[in-house]
Amino acid sequence: MAAVKALNPKAEVARAQAALAVNISAARGLQDVLRSNLGPKGTMKMLVSGAGDIKLTKDGNVLLHEMQIQHPTASLIAKVATAQDDITGDGTTSNVLIIGELLKQADLYVSEGLHPRIIAEGFEAAKDKALAVLEEVKVTREMDRETLINVARTSLRTKVHTELADLLTEAVVDAVLAIAKPNEPIDLYMVEIMEMKHKTDCDTQLIRGLVLDHGARHPDMKKRVEDAYVLTCNVSLEYEKTEVNSGFFYKSAEEREKLVAAERKFIEDRVQKIIALKNKVCPNGEKGFVVINQKGIDPFSLDALAKEGIVALRRAKRRNMERLTLACGGIAMNSVDDLTLECLGHAGLVYEHTLGEEKYTFIEKCGNPRSVTLLVKGPNKHTLTQIKDAVRDGLRAVKNAIEDGSVVSGAGAFEVAVADALVKHKPNVKGRAQLGVQAFADALLVIPKVLAQNSGYDPQETLLKLQTEYKESGQLVGVDLSTGEPMVAGEAGVWDNYSVKKQLLHSCTVIASNILLVDEIMRAGMSSLRG
Amino acid sequence: MSGLCREVITLQLGHYSNFVGTHWWNLQDASLSYDPETPQGEIQSDVVFREGQTLGGHVTYTPRLIAMDLKGSLRTLRQEGSLYDAGKDTSAVTWEGSLMMHKESPPAKNSFLEDLDKLDKGDILAEADFSSSSQPQCSAAGSVSVDTVNSRLAQVQKGYRLEGSVKVWSDFLRIHLHPRTISVIHQYNHDGEAHRLEAFGQGEALLQGSVLEELEDKLHFFVEECDYLQGFQVLCDLADGFAGLGSKVTEMLQDTYGGRGILTWGLAPVSHRNSTPMKDLYHLLNCTLGTVHLTNHSSFFCPLTLRGGLGRRPSSPTAFPYLNYDPSLWYHCSSVLALALDALTVPYRLRNNSVPMWQVADTLAVSGRKVVAAYGAVPFPMMHGSSLPDALSACTDALPWKPLSACSEPGDGRCYGQWAMLKGFEGQRLISSLAPGIKPPTPLHSLHSGEDVLASYIRSFYPTAPLALQMVSTPSKLTPPFPQIFSQSLDAQGFLQSQAPPPGLPASAVSSLPVLTSLQSGPALGTWLSELHRGASTFDIRRVAPSFLSQGPEMGDYQEALEQLRLLARCYRDDSGGT
Repeated sequence: MAAVKALNPKAEVARAQAALAVNISAARGLQDVLRSNLGPKGTMKMLVSGAGDIKLTKDGNVLLHEMQIQHPTASLIAKVATAQDDITGDGTTSNVLIIGELLKQADLYVSEGLHPRIIAEGFEAAKDKALAVLEEVKVTREMDRETLINVARTSLRTKVHTELADLLTEAVVDAVLAIAKPNEPIDLYMVEIMEMKHKTDCDTQLIRGLVLDHGARHPDMKKRVEDAYVLTCNVSLEYEKTEVNSGFFYKSAEEREKLVAAERKFIEDRVQKIIALKNKVCPNGEKGFVVINQKGIDPFSLDALAKEGIVALRRAKRRNMERLTLACGGIAMNSVDDLTLECLGHAGLVYEHTLGEEKYTFIEKCGNPRSVTLLVKGPNKHTLTQIKDAVRDGLRAVKNAIEDGSVVSGAGAFEVAVADALVKHKPNVKGRAQLGVQAFADALLVIPKVLAQNSGYDPQETLLKLQTEYKESGQLVGVDLSTGEPMVAGEAGVWDNYSVKKQLLHSCTVIASNILLVDEIMRAGMSSLRG
Repeated sequence: MSGLCREVITLQLGHYSNFVGTHWWNLQDASLSYDPETPQGEIQSDVVFREGQTLGGHVTYTPRLIAMDLKGSLRTLRQEGSLYDAGKDTSAVTWEGSLMMHKESPPAKNSFLEDLDKLDKGDILAEADFSSSSQPQCSAAGSVSVDTVNSRLAQVQKGYRLEGSVKVWSDFLRIHLHPRTISVIHQYNHDGEAHRLEAFGQGEALLQGSVLEELEDKLHFFVEECDYLQGFQVLCDLADGFAGLGSKVTEMLQDTYGGRGILTWGLAPVSHRNSTPMKDLYHLLNCTLGTVHLTNHSSFFCPLTLRGGLGRRPSSPTAFPYLNYDPSLWYHCSSVLALALDALTVPYRLRNNSVPMWQVADTLAVSGRKVVAAYGAVPFPMMHGSSLPDALSACTDALPWKPLSACSEPGDGRCYGQWAMLKGFEGQRLISSLAPGIKPPTPLHSLHSGEDVLASYIRSFYPTAPLALQMVSTPSKLTPPFPQIFSQSLDAQGFLQSQAPPPGLPASAVSSLPVLTSLQSGPALGTWLSELHRGASTFDIRRVAPSFLSQGPEMGDYQEALEQLRLLARCYRDDSGGT
């Protein structure tokens, strides 16, 4: 009897083999859920909640977030897999598959009496070798647009249908190229993703400028301005509460009115300063003038601005303020005291689009935009969400590729190569840990197998063809999902991120080893309070 | 100034807050009038509601509301709502591969929701329900637009008895919400054992990344369209991790919209299901930290609960003489709090002479005393057909209100400031109508305005405290699914009946209720805060509940929060002569 039983009779305990069985079954259960997702031919999953909310996805990360996982081990694996997504933006499904497979392979040896610790050592050795192979096979080259498109396409085709994937591929690559600066880390934050419930998914497009999801709040302001100065500011243009308004500081109604008027004057002065600037920079009125303010603008101020032909937007999102200056140039002003021409940005076209109660303001034709917008369109919410998830992953894939400076062959080619190298490496490992290396090699092959299976081919047959072809040609061959035959992944343009593969090898090994080494599961007290 | 509509945005954080909020919105909805002919009410509904338009061009009227809850807490309610649903088929899946459908079986809807669905579709409720109301139906044929869901529900007056079937707040939600209203937090489960939002630190850590971005987007949508935003009313659960989330949310509001009022109501249910001593300890810690942080970031903070106290062994829940509610049912407790909240929020929702939020806060929260306590007489005991002086002089020994913040009144008349609201004296006389020659039985009977009567009555208990008053004649209208938790001695208007109805006869449903509430800042809160401080500082958290701090806050921050609480309690010490 476990010691904990003596202390807490209610505690539930599972030991050694039983504990391992519990953990392995959880890992395999998760694997079964996700295996049909892998690859461009995987199954799309439609989740319908009891109330009728729809979620449409093929992304392992999204699925894991949607599922209510109650099993602690499964939940642990799910956390690791979603962490993979947080770090690299891809590889969640592969992660779950490999962890499940590692445990399955390990289980074969453990059931024959091998101690889990030995297997874990083997895993560790295998991981080091696999990482070495990764360094060997990675292709370092200049990340031109074509390569980036290949990388993005490989990632996106696994998330959405082909036509849309190809459309998004171009959009995300161009978006990243627009904001990338040489020798500086890429800040994907500068790509705004804006959704619009309108038209169809294939109308999604890249806007070289910004799209704001609000419009001018005055009926007289123009809906379309060409060749416009853009003033970005964070100045309150509304009458707010101040001390004098708050109750006790005035004696009579007139005095109060006077103070209110003085307060009002203060705001009016600010508006006048903006109007003065407008009159200075566009004396003849041939150019437009747009004010985008992070703070509020009340109807009086709007009215005054509208009379001067100024288009004013209020309460811009904080995150858009930085993007605005990057897109149109100029400086975000925190006061209207020293406004000059240099503070202003420029946009070739500013126009408003109204959909029901929602307004969108497009700021386009900017000179050299360092911030762009991916305008996601779709007929319904779940399509929008699906595209948004895909776009995020696509952006990450392009960013990774640029930052890694190298790519790795996809379509299972890398896994076949590593498995082969590990089998050759096995004799260099001492003792029974060899078995762990063998298990690791076998486990990695789950990727090409499942890829083939999801496309309707026989997994074993396809795998054997791949391995033979790889041995004969020495080239990195993956599965051609349209024929089931081997193909040279690089030539077909199937490239994966180096950093995704690296992260995958690390996290799978660690988590599989950890789960293997668990020899006792205790459940006592508040399980739910572990973070 | 009075003509302006000063918009208020409501945030509901947590499941119990949503319970209270749902009742509150149902109450607001019940008093809406869609008939342009009727005179405008005293309460300006535009303050909390917004007019919108669907893609199809239909005009909508939905709350300016952001409601946050956990995964699995919506049951029958769709996150998007059905109001803006284009009604197109959703099966347009563009994927050439295979499609796997995982469909959760729809949860059973209770009888109320079923009727609501029927009304939405335009069906007339089953004839049997209409036995007595078939002829007003015909007469109203000319003005179909006036015949709203409300009026029909009111006609039905069906006893739904939802006590057994209400599991989540959407089970009795009568109104439609805007698609941007509901925000589901996917990191934690509403039910089940794993991944519960139980500690303050977990909630604090939530407000980042996608959750923060989503909240900012939703806030932006509601804020941007407001011309004269006056502030936010935040309803936040105190007992679970939402206290942490609320503290971060209010902090964000304070940073982004400084100068606006942020009125925070900290809500705690009387009891939790399947509680254990450990969970009770967590609730206590959450309440303590929540109180400190929410107070810091709000214009004022008012705890609202029917619990006897926030400590681990509270005294029995607040009892009201004319209510028979079941304290273990969230559906009941939250309805009482919602009624009180309907009165408490009156000052800044009035059409005329409204007092902006910041002024309410400035009046009550003087020199750092930002915690206020609420009291309420639910219902305000008034005989049918009598006058306000009569009603008040019937309770000269003790104030009619009971604590709503688990903070009992000291009874010594010391108070730093008070704001009283009387709602729902419609049809009653505010002043006594004695003939001139007759000597009034009490001084109250000789006063000439309702305000004077109430002020003079309250001053007899609190002679020195500054007092603000607000009186609204329209009562809170109760329509199904408001639970019928009222004593037999109330009539349909919520006034006391002079004689109890003969036993055996079914009591008529109460359809409106007068309520008297008060917000107070006084030395009693000092005691209340000290007790909260004592409750949390008597044990060593590292030994008793080590996992509480595992997700933050740091030990140092925790101790600092306790210290802040102690200082806050000292603000309430009455140093006026030490008598």
